Amino acid sequence: MDVKHIRNFSIIAHIDHGKSTLADRMLQITGTVDSRQFKDQILDDMDLERERGITIKASAVMMKYDYNGETYMLNLIDTPGHVDFHYEVSRALAACEGAILVVDATQGVEAQTVANTYLAIESGAEILPVLNKIDLPSAQPDATAEEIEHILGMKKNYCFKISAKTGIGVKELLDAVCELLPPPADRSGEPVAALIFDSHFDEYRGVICYVRIFAGKLTVKQKIKLIGSGKIYQILELGKFGPKMTPVSELGTGEVGYVIANIKGLSDITIGDTITDAVQPAEKPIPGYKKPMQMVFADFYPGDDTDYSKLRKAFEKLSLNDSSFSFFPQNSPALGFGFRCGFLGLLHIDIIQERLERENDIDVVQTAPTVSYEIVTTDGAVKKIDSPSELPDVTQIKELREPFVTLEIITHTDSIGGIMKLAENRRCTLIKTDYISQTRVMLEYKAPLAEIVYDFYDQLKGISRGYATMDYKFTGFEESDLVKIDILVNKTAVDALTLIVHRSNSEARGRKIITKLRKAIPRHQFEIPLQVAIGGKIIARETIKSFRKDVTAKLYGGDVTRKMKLLKKQKEGKKRMKSIGSVQIPQKAFMSILDTSD
Amino acid sequence: MDIDNIIENIGLYVHIPFCRSKCRYCGFYSRPVEDYDVERLIAAVITELDNCNCIGSIQTVYIGGGSPSCLPEKSLLRLIEYIYNRWKNIEEFTIECNPGQVNIEVLRKARKLGVSRISIGAQSFDHAELEFLGRTHNVGDITNAVTQAKNAGFDNISIDLIFAIPGSTILSWRQNLMRAIKLGVPHISAYSLSYEDGTILKQQRDAGLFAPVDEETDRAMYELTEELLEQAGFEHYEISNFARPSFRCKHNMRYWQNKPYIGVGPAAASCTGNQRTKNIADIDKYIQAVETNGTTAQETINLSAADIASETAVLNLRTADGINIEDYRQRHNLDICNVFAGPIERHCSLGLIAREKNNIRLTKNALPIADSILCDFIID
Ligand SMILES: Nc1nc2c(ncn2[C@@H]2O[C@H](COP(=O)(O)OP(=O)(O)O)[C@@H](O)[C@H]2O)c(=O)[nH]1
Ligand code: SF4
Repeated sequence: MDVKHIRNFSIIAHIDHGKSTLADRMLQITGTVDSRQFKDQILDDMDLERERGITIKASAVMMKYDYNGETYMLNLIDTPGHVDFHYEVSRALAACEGAILVVDATQGVEAQTVANTYLAIESGAEILPVLNKIDLPSAQPDATAEEIEHILGMKKNYCFKISAKTGIGVKELLDAVCELLPPPADRSGEPVAALIFDSHFDEYRGVICYVRIFAGKLTVKQKIKLIGSGKIYQILELGKFGPKMTPVSELGTGEVGYVIANIKGLSDITIGDTITDAVQPAEKPIPGYKKPMQMVFADFYPGDDTDYSKLRKAFEKLSLNDSSFSFFPQNSPALGFGFRCGFLGLLHIDIIQERLERENDIDVVQTAPTVSYEIVTTDGAVKKIDSPSELPDVTQIKELREPFVTLEIITHTDSIGGIMKLAENRRCTLIKTDYISQTRVMLEYKAPLAEIVYDFYDQLKGISRGYATMDYKFTGFEESDLVKIDILVNKTAVDALTLIVHRSNSEARGRKIITKLRKAIPRHQFEIPLQVAIGGKIIARETIKSFRKDVTAKLYGGDVTRKMKLLKKQKEGKKRMKSIGSVQIPQKAFMSILDTSD
Repeated sequence: MDIDNIIENIGLYVHIPFCRSKCRYCGFYSRPVEDYDVERLIAAVITELDNCNCIGSIQTVYIGGGSPSCLPEKSLLRLIEYIYNRWKNIEEFTIECNPGQVNIEVLRKARKLGVSRISIGAQSFDHAELEFLGRTHNVGDITNAVTQAKNAGFDNISIDLIFAIPGSTILSWRQNLMRAIKLGVPHISAYSLSYEDGTILKQQRDAGLFAPVDEETDRAMYELTEELLEQAGFEHYEISNFARPSFRCKHNMRYWQNKPYIGVGPAAASCTGNQRTKNIADIDKYIQAVETNGTTAQETINLSAADIASETAVLNLRTADGINIEDYRQRHNLDICNVFAGPIERHCSLGLIAREKNNIRLTKNALPIADSILCDFIID
């Protein structure tokens, strides 16, 4: 098809503002999906995503649409809406010329509206602002349009008013996509250059690359080269998403589709790499986008040591479909053999953990998530530290650096006080306050990632009674006055409980941790001392008293079966805990160290 | 109980599922006696006994419940007489009696029909506690019951006591124990109050209507029980049981030795060979089953060799004798010190298990927390 009739775009929105509903409506109106067999929210194909109401992986769909007597090919590239997945939003946008920005007119601009808009602006996409849910009586399209103008700098008169649910305005929006969004540049005469913007792994066909052709064309059987890796493959199948994968013989400039080329594993490709012809390669790769940095780490250990290889297989499988998840073997003196895993953020951990439990029958012990640190050693070398226990002795450290982010919070003005207090407690510095409207405000902070990584979001939601939204973006590592806290259980330092924190609140944190641990570790047959050590000095101590009574008073003939069952359960319970020395520590205790609530 | 041709010596338990009123803490199967045709139930129990082909001898008999003492004289004696006539070599024959339901004439007759032991559900010597528990007798009834039992010719008398009743203190429990010792009975069972599923007491506790006795006090009471009763000449021979020399309850010892027994009557449990069965816990259905020659078993569990070996270990460890290493080897073909090497070593080092020449047993410190140790003696 002539590039003039191709439009590649994404829909970006804050969670629940109606992105998926709008996508569904478009699919219906363009007849891409038969109304009768219409299953709501086609694009979110994994159960998990449906349940959590978030889209994790970008996917794509091609729609045919007639406008002004001409047929257009509209490629919609889906984006995730959550904080942790900025990078996936960027890579979807990199394949587009335009973006539809959906804002729920009953809610107004939210934190991810802002964050996603910035990403779209950075990618150079043309943005069509859309006010959604105008069918609802509580919709305030004019006020929302004001916010869009004020905070995002777009003209309020150009906002489309739609209801993704009822379909009002959606046809007009599709017309605008054809009319207002730019077509791809016509570079059909050049050597082929196709951007890999996503991929997934199929057990039978290997890696399936999602591509956007920027120049030239791809044909079946063509020998291709990945510019980044230099690897050469032969195309076995090409196709488009309609929305099912439909084979075609070629993909031309401006088009979006998939490539299957006998690529064995996801580790063989890099998202963002450029596919070109092996014989007549393009000179330059398509400018990609930054690889996401894994900023949050947590250890996973099999609950039962014999499950180690089962756990490894499960992680291998998970990483096949999620290139932003990584894992490497880890050996903890306390917890034995396990894996240290890297994630984009906390939601990402939750998702991985749920998949792990759902798809594999493995009990895992997960340690509290921590962030990466950077150290400058006395000999001047800069090293990244992904685990507090990797931290060398203080005498070898010249400088300790922790990751900082820019944090944007949008909230109602009446919760500003509470939020500012929370932020202050978490070492955040206010950079900017921006009134979006009379009742809503955007706060911009510089924040240490470590402080917002665990329960910040929950607390924020609590303080603002659910109103506040947040988003953050990594800015860099900076020097910080950090110390290592060691926790000793029954006089033994437990590496999995080691933590790096800011000196200013290290003592308070240490105390809080052992208070939490005292509640999380069940009483034993003996007394267990819990101690906090900072720089080798014990600064706090608590004791878990031994239990005093645990016996069935009456056990006669009729009670044996039931009692044996209960004892068996008691034994299983012990087994599910990690034993460190003679102390049995339940899994949740390893998470309790980051819980800063009272 | 559906067992044929039992050759070994066994124990016989008869469950009488009736009570005058329901105690608030009671988790046993028992129904109001006035709501049922008692004679018909006793007839059914006797039929169930008739149907069991016990070739070997019954060594111990225990009629429990419920409250056997709430049965009309005629029914109770009919049951006793049946057993007396059928089995000759009974070594111990116990009947449970509730204070306030004791009739010296019935006791005399029972004594003549071979009953040798009376177990009295005293529970407490404190009016308020008896009321809290929902017992209908008073303190005087207890002394009275003991006197009558003695007068009827029983020297083997046991009383049950409950401690850690909400509101009780170490001092009040001490008084209870002293009263019990003064009664001059040779056997005392002392149970820490337990909150059984489905009881009113548990519901009320969970609803926060009263505070249970704290663990520390419960333990102190347990230790006091042992101290005072041992001073008075009792042996602490099982977690909750104390006896003067040669007055251990032979029937209950069978349970802890994991020896076979049969149970008849609704909800009664049997253990024979590698099977544990439980009778229907419903009086009408039970009677119907017996009268139509159907099965009285509601649940039958087949045990693996490992299950049985685990049960022996767990049950033996509740007793002062613990596990006899040689007996265990002969019976289960297992070296106990090998199978449970890990737990034995760990608990020995914590002073919770004593490893003697012939036995493995729990130490005094271990008894109050026995379950946390016993659970390690289960073979997967
Ligand atoms: N009334 C109304 N509800 C809508 C509209 N668009 C979406 N919704 C509802 O808003 C919720 C979130 O929509 P969804 O498309 O899942 O949001 P996403 O998270 O941005 O994909 C769902 O319950 C939708 O049914 C609309 O135009 N009108
Ligand atoms: S008398 Fe015994 S069996 Fe009957 S209700 Fe009371 S405790 Fe339960």
